[in-house]
Amino acid sequence: MATTTATIDIVSQDWSKNYEINLNAPMDLFKHNTTGTGLLQMNYHKAVIPTGTNFTLIQESAALNSNPANYVYIANNNTDPEDYVIISIQNEVIGRLYSGDWAFFPWSNATTATAGVDDPSGNDTDIEIQAVTHECIVEYALFHSGETLLTASDS
Amino acid sequence: MATTTATITLTSNDISDSPISITNQAIFTTAGTDTGITETTGLARKKFATSGNTVLLDHGLAQGIAQDVTADKSAKVYIRNINDRGDGTKYVTILLTAVEIGRLYGGDWMLIPWSGGSGKDVEFTASDTTETTLEYCVFYE
Repeated sequence: MATTTATIDIVSQDWSKNYEINLNAPMDLFKHNTTGTGLLQMNYHKAVIPTGTNFTLIQESAALNSNPANYVYIANNNTDPEDYVIISIQNEVIGRLYSGDWAFFPWSNATTATAGVDDPSGNDTDIEIQAVTHECIVEYALFHSGETLLTASDS
Repeated sequence: MATTTATITLTSNDISDSPISITNQAIFTTAGTDTGITETTGLARKKFATSGNTVLLDHGLAQGIAQDVTADKSAKVYIRNINDRGDGTKYVTILLTAVEIGRLYGGDWMLIPWSGGSGKDVEFTASDTTETTLEYCVFYE
């Protein structure tokens, strides 16, 4: 069992004279249906996302769907404030990650859709990304308890 | 101008042979600028004891945040399930309109950008009717 901890700190001290935000929240990444068994697997990538096309960033799979405690981290490493990527799930835009922004969220890969070539389980809730303005360098990670491995086409 | 920073630290000593430590700090700015976001809901809490689908952030409202958060602006949503984890079978499912994003088990949190727009509510559904408390905050322009 592995222990992986994700901690967020949100700090702002100048909203007003009498109000500040100082928030700290650690969490351990555990498997579904366990009191404290840590996720054992992760993928970590860095990629250049060209403009103009909505790409699959993290592909769904039946194994991810059957073990729905998965966590996604995405960071836009660009520096020009006008650059951003659009993050989507299925047909829903979650939002824009501007240069320097990051996101961290659970992903259950759970919505049923029609199976297809790029959607072997019929649960097309891929995490998608589109760069706007300029190509963007992104880092992204998936912490999970198992993905469906594809049989090699020449096996 | 407010300066708000969100820092994530991902650490593990045993998910791989070598320890991992990833730290990233974001400064919340308005869309396409270096100017800090100046509006927030403040930190809020919502208690509920229903397994029905419930709107947490309502984009059907005619005023307030509903008017301010749009796709061409910048907004961030923080949500945390502050219940205890227990046996790991209780969770809150977070949805964007009808599309399930993922499950927040007790103690879990998330930070996402939010494009908003008509009908783009952030919703939740609990796995059972145990009383659950969500903590949430929206930063927006």
